[in-house]
Amino acid sequence: MTAIFRPRPTLIFLLLLLMLVFWLSLALGPVSLPLGDTLLAGMRLLGLPLEGGDTQQAELILGQIRLPRSLLGISVGAVLALSGVAMQGLFRNPLADPGLVGVSGGAALGAAFAIVGGSMLGGVPPAIEPYLLSVCAFAGGLIVTAVVYRFGRRNGQTNVATMLLAGVAMTAMAGAGVGLFTYLADDATLRTLTFWNLGSLNGASYPRLWPLLIVAVGVALWLPRRAAALNAMLLGESEARHLGFDIERIKLELVLCTALGVGAAVAAAGLIGFIGLVVPHLMRLLVGPDHRVLLPASLLAGASLLLLADLAARLLLAPAELPIGIVTALIGAPFFLYLLVRGRT
Amino acid sequence: MRMKTLLACASVLVSQMAVADALPQRWVSAGGAFSEWVVALGGESKLVGVDSTSQYPQSLRSLPGVGYQRALAAEGILTLKPDILVGSNEMGPPPVLEQLKAAGVRIELLSAKADVPALQHNLTELGHLLGKETEAQALMDGYLQRLQTQANWVKVAQQQHAAPRVLMLLSHSGGNLQVAGKDTLAAWMIQQAGGHALGEHSGYKPVSSEAMLSLDPQVIIFAGGKLEGEAARKALLEQNPVLAQTRAGRDGRIVVIDPTLLVGGLGPRVPDALTRLASAFYPDVKPQTAEINP
Repeated sequence: MTAIFRPRPTLIFLLLLLMLVFWLSLALGPVSLPLGDTLLAGMRLLGLPLEGGDTQQAELILGQIRLPRSLLGISVGAVLALSGVAMQGLFRNPLADPGLVGVSGGAALGAAFAIVGGSMLGGVPPAIEPYLLSVCAFAGGLIVTAVVYRFGRRNGQTNVATMLLAGVAMTAMAGAGVGLFTYLADDATLRTLTFWNLGSLNGASYPRLWPLLIVAVGVALWLPRRAAALNAMLLGESEARHLGFDIERIKLELVLCTALGVGAAVAAAGLIGFIGLVVPHLMRLLVGPDHRVLLPASLLAGASLLLLADLAARLLLAPAELPIGIVTALIGAPFFLYLLVRGRT
Repeated sequence: MRMKTLLACASVLVSQMAVADALPQRWVSAGGAFSEWVVALGGESKLVGVDSTSQYPQSLRSLPGVGYQRALAAEGILTLKPDILVGSNEMGPPPVLEQLKAAGVRIELLSAKADVPALQHNLTELGHLLGKETEAQALMDGYLQRLQTQANWVKVAQQQHAAPRVLMLLSHSGGNLQVAGKDTLAAWMIQQAGGHALGEHSGYKPVSSEAMLSLDPQVIIFAGGKLEGEAARKALLEQNPVLAQTRAGRDGRIVVIDPTLLVGGLGPRVPDALTRLASAFYPDVKPQTAEINP
């Protein structure tokens, strides 16, 4: 597979695209704010003491609703797309997505435990309630991934194929656990669980944003440092080892980045499918398989795509809202089919 | 003298206008029963948006929908410029409520519990917020009186007949049947109407056909779907032939009720439904309508 476009212009284009989409995400919403108010409110939020105009409402909507939501969207999209690249590189399989090592399944199990278990135990103290779901989802993803990784280890080496199969099995087991909680749930918690499984950036707030943002920045800084190793792994594991890369360490790092990143993303926004699968694919078509370009390109494109999907999610049914997982799957699945058909000719 | 009276009148008028001004004028209601009570208290014109469970009266369906009560969207609701959002304590997510509060929307949490004290509290609150305290009190008194009449009637009926075994089934558009268990509004209604509620679990759970057969209900209450009356009864028996083998099925004692009755605590239509259920439970006993209006 060769690149269609040259790397540098493509990256610059993607960066500009993300900036444009970010602006749209701040400027558009169910409440239509005049452009002037949005600009003025934005300036004031940045701390510029500007005169005139009553922008209290605009400042609130911009600062407390749209900005945390947009930043959350960027972080989630970027992390999911980066993890997708890492997993497709690790498994040397274009069908790999971040869920493959069990992190999504584990997170879903953790969330189900928090939602259903919490209400069955007669409610949790209000002080920890908002965090319980996120912490449980994050922990669930991490634990299941650790188990999967452990199954893949033998004689100091990580067998990727074993890990993949263990991931499938553990995801199925986590699914059984979620099913059990679904059975135990009452109507109200069941609805919460269903909505959580479809993902949403709704209700984004700064306390929910910070943990993910830190993880996202960490992953975004760390993975590109392993681009050369990922490139070498395209040739095969032993070849990469002969090229001088500490392959076992790289594998651990890739799994760890994915577990942390996807775990944090899922904890903050629920299960959002297809970004991790489709974005790396699309970028490979555009810029080729070189991970030094593929990683930043996927980061930018993943963030843009998620913001666009969220824009659709909040505008289409206003004043109600569509779960974002529906939108990403609606965009992602046909596109994926298109790629399959195209690849055949 | 005339001047003084005029002034007094004016001041009364002004003070009343001030009160009316302070009352929330634009309402968003997130809960079927709450919306019904707002309508019953004459506040329908103040409703600017409702959640997905507010399906009754029909006219509410033409209002902007704010989606499911647990997945509300802050900005979407703000487009309706509401003064107040009423809903149960299940309403959320919490950050959205915080954002709405910050935007100056009053959040009023009511109880969705299916019991009389909760209803009393809700009605008092709603009456106060709508400026219709007397009406709310009158509605509450009438409600309590009807429940009392109902209870008396059941007492008489139970002296003549044993309480029938009642199974309440809920269906979501042709899916699996769910059986109402303890702690549900359905169980409360069955008990109030003088029936013996089957279903030992809590909440709504799917139950196997065989288990339904072994429970052998004498009366089946069916809530679900768009169908009404005879059509719903027929569809239920067609899709679940095993029900025809229960005593309720053989005797044709299947009562169809509107599922929107069961959402969000005690609504205004509950007493009527109770009367209907009771006369289905005790067909031989003289209907109570004659006793209510002597």
